[in-house]
Amino acid sequence: MKAKRKSWLAFMLLVIVAVVAAGCGNSNNEAKNSGSASPSPSAGASASAGAGAKDGKGITIAINTNIITLDPHNASDTHSISAARTMYEGLLGFDENMNLVPVLATEYKISDDGLVYTFTLRDNVKFQDGTDFNAEAVKANIARIQDEKNNLRLRRSFAKVAKVEAPDAKTVVFTLSEPYNAFLNKVAMAGMISPKALTESGADIAKKPVGTGPFKLKDWTQGDSLVVEKNADYWQQGFPKVESVTFRSVPENGSRIAMLKTGEADFIYPLPTEQASEVEGKDGISVIKTDSTIVRYVTLNTMKKPFDDVKVRQAINYAINKEAYIKVVKSGLGVKLDSTMSSKTQYYSQQTGYDYDLEKAKQLLADAGYPNGFSAEIWGENDSETIKGMQFIQQQLALVGIKLDVKSMEGGTLSDQINAAKTPEEAKIQMWYVSWSPSSGDADGATRGLFSSEMFPPAGSNTAYYKNASVDQWIADANKATDAEKAKAIYADIQKTIWNDAPWAFMGVDQIISGSRSTLEGVKVFPDGSINVLNAQVK
Amino acid sequence: MPDNSIGMGAGSGSSLPLEAAPARTAGRFKAFYRKFRKQRLAFAAACFIILLLLVAILGPFLTPYNPDTPNYDALMQGPSAHHWAGTDEYGRDIMSRLIDGTRLSLAVSLSAVFIAAVLGTILGLLSGYYGGWLDRLIMRGSDVLFSFPDLLLAIGIVAILGPGLSNVVIAVAVFGTPSFARIIRSVTLSVKETLFVEATRSMGAKDSRIIWRHIFPETVSSIIVNVSMRIGGAILAAASLSFLGMGAKTTEPDWGAMLSMGRDYLSIAPHIVYFPGLTIFLAVLAFNIFGDGLRDALDPKIKN
Repeated sequence: MKAKRKSWLAFMLLVIVAVVAAGCGNSNNEAKNSGSASPSPSAGASASAGAGAKDGKGITIAINTNIITLDPHNASDTHSISAARTMYEGLLGFDENMNLVPVLATEYKISDDGLVYTFTLRDNVKFQDGTDFNAEAVKANIARIQDEKNNLRLRRSFAKVAKVEAPDAKTVVFTLSEPYNAFLNKVAMAGMISPKALTESGADIAKKPVGTGPFKLKDWTQGDSLVVEKNADYWQQGFPKVESVTFRSVPENGSRIAMLKTGEADFIYPLPTEQASEVEGKDGISVIKTDSTIVRYVTLNTMKKPFDDVKVRQAINYAINKEAYIKVVKSGLGVKLDSTMSSKTQYYSQQTGYDYDLEKAKQLLADAGYPNGFSAEIWGENDSETIKGMQFIQQQLALVGIKLDVKSMEGGTLSDQINAAKTPEEAKIQMWYVSWSPSSGDADGATRGLFSSEMFPPAGSNTAYYKNASVDQWIADANKATDAEKAKAIYADIQKTIWNDAPWAFMGVDQIISGSRSTLEGVKVFPDGSINVLNAQVK
Repeated sequence: MPDNSIGMGAGSGSSLPLEAAPARTAGRFKAFYRKFRKQRLAFAAACFIILLLLVAILGPFLTPYNPDTPNYDALMQGPSAHHWAGTDEYGRDIMSRLIDGTRLSLAVSLSAVFIAAVLGTILGLLSGYYGGWLDRLIMRGSDVLFSFPDLLLAIGIVAILGPGLSNVVIAVAVFGTPSFARIIRSVTLSVKETLFVEATRSMGAKDSRIIWRHIFPETVSSIIVNVSMRIGGAILAAASLSFLGMGAKTTEPDWGAMLSMGRDYLSIAPHIVYFPGLTIFLAVLAFNIFGDGLRDALDPKIKN
């Protein structure tokens, strides 16, 4: 009996391990291109771990969420964008301060009226399938983005493009229907896909990427890992300097940091903030801190009761102690959010108010007709830090009688839940604890997708279903402004109005904390949270 | 208590047939207690279990702090005079949460094992007594359930029913049922053949009377032993499910959920997982030792 029970306990442990492995196994089976997938999931895991820096060939990067798509025109989450950018490049790109730099275009000219953009393309660039990159390819890509049937995330960024012309193979001319302040930033967001691959793969292009980038797809096991290998024909001589890059989705903070410590991962992002001080400088690990454009907030569905009342939304903002939030959830690494965008974003304008005030929050709730609070659901992803943030918000709102049910979901499920609603009426979302960073680096990127009434899911990320006619108008006006001072003034109005309307609970601005083995150089997390691996190099 | 001593005397002397039944029970209990008391470890385990039960019942009066109230000025503090088991990542008192969680853990495991015992006993009695196709049906059904590893079966059930403590109870009960069915069936098979059952049947007693009045009492000791042995496993299974995020919500002070939420801080504040882990360990150990002791004390074949 005793022996049996002992073995039973050991067995239980085994089962737990087996179940975790089985979780990976499922996604293994789903993967389309499992040609190189190993027969057993655990063997698969160790195989990709074996591709660590030690052999000087490949590097492994552990990230906290799943990569959702590799379609550069449809990616909306930062990790998908990072992954797509290893294989795709746009006419322009960003440097580490979010400034625009030429990539596939060598130069550009803008006409005085701000309507005609002429790009000169780089010579001798080939797609990974061997076809030439030329002006016709750019035309085909823009046509794909603009096609309403495809319903791609980037479509609205290119809505003002009236026509694209290719006078010769090396020149592309965009003509806009009206001036668009942020157009160059949007151009930098559009990775160029091989037109041949587009015709051949159709909708499957998200799983079979073919770009001009430094890396090409080797294997993508959705929900587990993405392996990209060196593109030997890359146009920048001498790049990339590593044979392959493996992105592994490791939602759990503890596992991610353990992977960095053991060398199973060469780079992790995010590094759990509470451990930043503990691992710094130890075991050959360096901790890298960068100020970010990442804002954290809770969207409050302004079309659903009780959040349709501005008093309730303001009450929630007063009821949350932002300083405590930074301290508890962010381990002090961050600042409170005092506008709709971070101070690192273009045209930021500081707002005041919503200091922690329980009495005021209770008063506002009573005025709104909820003296005893109410119950609601808060959604978020299932990584440790997000759950911690949601629990913190739950604890804070409990003090004013708002009872929150914390629902953490896997990223894909969550995204499906949000985008399943085709109209605001169908939306089930009440509160969503999430973060946003304008990957296009401009004020428009930090505003339009989140607050324009054209951007209700699934078209955009206005999950607060915020609709304010003046804000809509201002967003349009700001885009047309050719003068920077004027744009800045308009954005100041926008930020002030949204701040007072409180479609969000404004939480904090992240400091980007990533961890790297000291043998690795050149992997950088940009202020928007995207990971750049072009310069990666193993010492 | 003179009355008592007379009763006992009468029982052991068995001179008064009419009083034989209650006196026999009392005598049995006394003999059992004597045997059980000799097993020091099992006796200590029993005392610990009683303590756990008291903590579970009196929980709200014992907690030094409100288990759900955060204190952002005392994050992840180690054990001290103020917080015996330290504070967690929100500055909540871990001791208070463990005390509060005792009720949850015991309620889940006890109710799961109780449900399993009731279902398993009924199935075992029917299967053993009637035999034939009913026996084959129940036993093959049990075999199917036995063929799944316990926890895997529970995870499967929770996956179907959805997460939550009440579904954990159902899941743990389902994987506990076949073991009861099998044990009770074997006891039933042997008791069924005894002379007194045959005598009862020859007097024309109905099946239901034979099963409940004559066979069932003979299975009670096996049920008790198996119940006590399975509670430890049930606590562990419930904690495992919560740890995997399939049981208690992460906000509830469930032992497994506390372990799960605390594991991010293993390297910087190990006490956050150490104390819930220790509590689970002690509780499971106590129930297992107690079960062993009960078995030894109730088994007439073991003499001492």
